Amino acid sequence: MRRWSVQKHYYLMLLPGMVWLVMFSIVPMFGIVMAFENYNPGQGIFHSEWVGWDNFKYMFQLNDSKTVLINTVIIAVGKIVFHLVVPLVFAILLNELTNLRFKRLVQTVVYLPHFLSWVIMATIVIGIFGYYGVANTVVQMFGGQPKLFMADAGLFRQLVIGTDVWKEFGYNAIIYLAALTGVNLNLYEAAAIDGANRWQLIRHITLPSLATTVVLLGVLSLGNVLNAGFDQVYNLYNPLVYSTGDILDTWVYRLGLQNLQFSLATAAGLFKSVISFVLIVISYRLAYRYADYTVF
Amino acid sequence: MVVDPTDKTLPQGDSVSNNQYTRYLKEKYNINVIVDWTAATGNDYKQKVSLSIASGKLPDGMVVDDRSFMTKAASSGLLYDITDLFQQYASSQVKQIMDSTEGRAMENASYKGRMVSLPNITVDTDGVHVMWIRKDWLDKLNLPVPKTLSDIEKTAQAFIDNHMGGDKTIGIAGPSKNTFPYATFLVSSNNLGGFDPVFGAMDAYPGYWLDNGDGTVTYGTLTENTKKTLALLADWYKKGLIDPEVGTRDNVGDPINANQAGIFFGPWWSGGYGNGDSFKNDPTANWQAYPVYSDDGKWNVHMKTTGSTYTLISKKAKPDVAKAIIIMNNALVRDEATFDVSVAVGWYPLRNVMAAANETEYEYNELLKVLKGETNPEDYNQPNSLYKLMYADAKKVKNVIKPPYDDLNVGNFDMTNFGDFQRMYSLMIGDRPYATIPIDKKVYSVTYNQTPTMETKWANLKKMEDETVLKIILGQAPIDSFDKFVKDWKAQGGDEITAEVAELLKK
Amino acid sequence: MTLVRTKTLGSRTFDIANVILLGLLLVSCLYPLWYTFCVSISNKSAANAGLVTIYPIGFSLTSYKEIINDKLFFNSFWISIQRTVLGTAISMLITVMMAYPLAKSKREFTLRNTFMWILVFCMLFNGGLIPWYLTVQQYHLINSIWALVLGGGVPIFNVILVMNFFRNLPKDLHEAGIVDGAGPWSILFRIYVPCSIPVLAAVALFVSVYHWNEFFNGLVLMNTSDKYPLQTYIQQLVVNIPVGTNLTPEQYKKLSELSNRTLNAAKVFIAMVPMLVVYPFLQKYFVTGIMLGAVKE
Repeated sequence: MRRWSVQKHYYLMLLPGMVWLVMFSIVPMFGIVMAFENYNPGQGIFHSEWVGWDNFKYMFQLNDSKTVLINTVIIAVGKIVFHLVVPLVFAILLNELTNLRFKRLVQTVVYLPHFLSWVIMATIVIGIFGYYGVANTVVQMFGGQPKLFMADAGLFRQLVIGTDVWKEFGYNAIIYLAALTGVNLNLYEAAAIDGANRWQLIRHITLPSLATTVVLLGVLSLGNVLNAGFDQVYNLYNPLVYSTGDILDTWVYRLGLQNLQFSLATAAGLFKSVISFVLIVISYRLAYRYADYTVF
Repeated sequence: MVVDPTDKTLPQGDSVSNNQYTRYLKEKYNINVIVDWTAATGNDYKQKVSLSIASGKLPDGMVVDDRSFMTKAASSGLLYDITDLFQQYASSQVKQIMDSTEGRAMENASYKGRMVSLPNITVDTDGVHVMWIRKDWLDKLNLPVPKTLSDIEKTAQAFIDNHMGGDKTIGIAGPSKNTFPYATFLVSSNNLGGFDPVFGAMDAYPGYWLDNGDGTVTYGTLTENTKKTLALLADWYKKGLIDPEVGTRDNVGDPINANQAGIFFGPWWSGGYGNGDSFKNDPTANWQAYPVYSDDGKWNVHMKTTGSTYTLISKKAKPDVAKAIIIMNNALVRDEATFDVSVAVGWYPLRNVMAAANETEYEYNELLKVLKGETNPEDYNQPNSLYKLMYADAKKVKNVIKPPYDDLNVGNFDMTNFGDFQRMYSLMIGDRPYATIPIDKKVYSVTYNQTPTMETKWANLKKMEDETVLKIILGQAPIDSFDKFVKDWKAQGGDEITAEVAELLKK
Repeated sequence: MTLVRTKTLGSRTFDIANVILLGLLLVSCLYPLWYTFCVSISNKSAANAGLVTIYPIGFSLTSYKEIINDKLFFNSFWISIQRTVLGTAISMLITVMMAYPLAKSKREFTLRNTFMWILVFCMLFNGGLIPWYLTVQQYHLINSIWALVLGGGVPIFNVILVMNFFRNLPKDLHEAGIVDGAGPWSILFRIYVPCSIPVLAAVALFVSVYHWNEFFNGLVLMNTSDKYPLQTYIQQLVVNIPVGTNLTPEQYKKLSELSNRTLNAAKVFIAMVPMLVVYPFLQKYFVTGIMLGAVKE
């Protein structure tokens, strides 16, 4: 019975949060039915005409839906991978710095690009990769011909992934830095005395202490597998790069903007949620079965 | 209601719900205005309107800036049918303005045959795109004003060869990543930085629905003439005459404002309002406007729809309220000229401008008369005048424009009051072509609105169109890809839609 | 930070290369900020022409004045402060309170997995903008500060993050608490929280940044500009039309689409300043060694 008297408190602790969750997440969730309706604002969410899978069929029958989906996945997965790896490497490298002041300076500055909106970043990126921009100056220094980077569909995805990773790595590294503070410094000294070199110290002490955080972030980021980044792509793209740059969100935006197709937007959102959920469940199960590890 | 957050013209103590306009309405018509919400012009406002419609709860009256909002609200049964109410309560002045559009405004404001909104009517000239060119560069090089496309080609080449705009001189500026090569039937006006006159000079009307005269219609982009124009533009691009960054550029105004470009295309206000920074960066930039002529000397122009903002009245509004809104509109049209303009007229509730379609041309001609001393500014002090801005402009014009008045150049203008300068420049130089030169061929689109099938298929077709056009111009695709585009376009819904548009001809 | 300094050549080369690499990153991150700053203080016309690249052209504080010179700016500033403080406090409290039970094993807390999956589900699935908006409307929260504070919903990602951290704390901490006769609440607030300062500081940073920068909810949930939080207020300032110009709404809209770079840059900068100021103070929480001494082996 001691267990109940303790568990009672656990429920109490969860209570306010759950109330908040019900009010603002669960209640609105009923709106998902809009994905299966032909939503008519005049009739409301619960009285609009039921059309079943029509919205989804429509989405996938359009000629470019396959391309759009592929673009979305490639860009989103690229971002997931690099958003995990780059901040991690950065956090480790930063951790190795000995000069405290330089370390603080770097730490403060690199997280700032996160605060620049893509409206402004796009201007900068387009400026750098423009016909007379810095990138082309460098290219010409090496004897090449100036290139229209922004018009090149073959480079667009890499550009999107690269600039986003650059913009966010500082901010994303914060959580790794926080995790690193929990490492017992004595471990390093003990290992060094045993003859370990820098690389071995990193490999056997620093990395394992970050392991759970990396895995957790990795699994959770699967929730973004279809979020290629509307703001960024919208501000960077143009019709010449539609073939590789048009993502689910920009595509739905254009479809929706013309006709205020709310049902379609909800259907696309539902589709994204289902895929993300399935992936997360799968990776959770895999981690449990093969590594005996509960991700969350 | 739309507000401008930087507007500081409201006197102390006044607010959006209590100002000279709301007081005017209360005193004269006993109309009490209660403001539900406000938002800044642009995307913010669009967002709130969208949400308002999506939630099915419209305020009694709301002005929307896109026809799709109106049709969505109408098709959802959210709008008040004002067909009869309008006939009863609209003033004769308003009806006169509506009639001057030969039924197009009424059609614009209606859904399935019933009038469900108050339309705005904007000046015709917003849809007349002309060529803007640096006359000072022409003068320095001793070149004549180009008239045809081959003239333009030579002029642009000369600008570039002589580095008139510096090392990175751009002959012809074009669309950015957000703007379009040509105005289309859905967005038929104000296309700054497009190539509209170039297409017109080749008798091509891409983006418009053309009446073939035999009961069928053609989508203008699919015609042979459009193909030829695209080939021409591609050729110009290859020769380096067009901005290398066309289609990818961040902002359409950059090369113009940096005084790098010598030629661009746009409506009357592109010079003045549209490129103010160009003048600030170089006060001697003598931008002048001219038509572009076809090889046989014709000026062909595609014309715009009557307007694209609408006053929506909620179905749930009481009849008295609906009547009041119609009256508010009457009052605005009649009295706008009499308001004290030190308080921006944007504060007038539910302001949806109905202008005489030829207002700009009227002002052009009358202001010239004022300048030459043939008339007096006081002559225009008429409260019931259709041309509401004339009096204020007449009073200012002599301060801004100095003689000689026959051949206005940038040097004639005084830029001290920059806002006034911009307006006068746009009026007197930007509108000069449309006001003084008759258009040889005016092309109207069979429809400026979406048909049912368009709601599901148009976005895809438009994407194909945008991609193909830009790729051809930039040389990423050969001109022959145009034929494949036509085939695909027809197969993916184009034919269906064309048939629907043809149906409209029968009405 | 490894306090070990082995003097091998490999170690030294690594250090130097590291400094160079991080230095380059520093510069690359600095440039856009510098650029934005330069544009914001440049002459408007030059900036709009795209002429500003490495240094400002002309000097003009007009854009800053446009933004600040309005009592609405300070009004919104105050609203944002209220929102951020209230929002962060409530969010952190609830986050910590939810993370603790969820950090317990299934043995100790039977329904742990159920609650966990409910949270994950809610993190991924939502009804979309319209149902959410209608819900907030039903609660009569439109136009009130609580819409801003609570509207974002439970920060599930943060809860999971903190939960993970709690889970990795040594079990001895919990045992020590029990031995001292502490109940779950005491253990949470007197032991777990003080031992988790780094991650809590990080999460608090994330939450306050979110509240401070968030503009969309501010736009749709508030009806008039005197209720807007700072970012919403700032982001709607789009273009400055000279006084006395009489434009139709359509022309105004068209003109506002031609960008005003100095204004946009100034907006971004004003938004960043609080972060620039706050972060160095938080840095001390990310220092190693806070954990030492908590438990005797």
